[in-house]
Amino acid sequence: MTDAHAATLEAHWGGGAAPFGATWQKTMMWIFIVTDGLLFSGLLCGYAFLRMASPMPWPKQSEVFSIPFIALMTFILITSSAFMGSAVTAARLGDRKKTLLNLALTIVGGAAFLGCQAIEWSHLIHEGARLTGNPWGAPQFGQAFFLLTGFHGSHVFSGLVILAITYVRSLMGKTPAQGVEIAGLYWHFVDLVWVFIFTLFYLL
Amino acid sequence: MSDHGGSNPYKIYWTTWFVLLLITVAMLLAEKFHMPRWFLVAFLVAFMATKAVMIAGNFMHLRFEKANLGIIVVTSLILFLFITPESASVLAKTPR
Repeated sequence: MTDAHAATLEAHWGGGAAPFGATWQKTMMWIFIVTDGLLFSGLLCGYAFLRMASPMPWPKQSEVFSIPFIALMTFILITSSAFMGSAVTAARLGDRKKTLLNLALTIVGGAAFLGCQAIEWSHLIHEGARLTGNPWGAPQFGQAFFLLTGFHGSHVFSGLVILAITYVRSLMGKTPAQGVEIAGLYWHFVDLVWVFIFTLFYLL
Repeated sequence: MSDHGGSNPYKIYWTTWFVLLLITVAMLLAEKFHMPRWFLVAFLVAFMATKAVMIAGNFMHLRFEKANLGIIVVTSLILFLFITPESASVLAKTPR
């Protein structure tokens, strides 16, 4: 290791500096997102394993789900993510009115997504889908479906709680721009996870 | 963050939103065409990865952060890649 390298290491990591160029709040949110990403990676890996190991044929998704309905859910989530991005930008520019409007639209989108998921779940449960079996094929299908979408849905729900708190605190003028940004990071992450579930579970 | 995206700072989100929508529509249409299964899988996974990079990069601003922050995210994915061949090898040993 050269002296210059050692000096750089010391300057960036020796303490007193911000190696990630971000405040501790934002760095912690990113570290949380990484661990949460690993949780979903594990779940998706488990799903892939169940599907490949299943001796019975995997149900054809287009026969079980209404794919246009799933596409609508995807559209809702992507749109609410774009509103969230606008809210973060507005907060940074100090435009409180626009921040509140975009946060409200994000919350509406998230709630609509959860509503769609409730419809989808009750429909499938009505048709006989259970954790232990289902009328369409491999019994593991039900497990994979309820666990993946259930974990994701609970993340959407906690995201909504965070957004509602951010909204109320912004209304009181107590949330700094960074608070909105960190709430936004979590919300975008929930959207990111849906991209993987949508592709790997519903389309493949 | 005001040093990119031109005059309108909101534009990057709605451009990204539009491209994400186009990609989603392309993914939905892909299944209507007859193509070999491996090709469909490769196509969908490639588009999925593109969407993920766009969301992390543009929505979550990872592109505009210090590289260190991106490195902790990518490192975790490398760790994850170690699990995949392991689970595949377990699968190969499972009697059918």
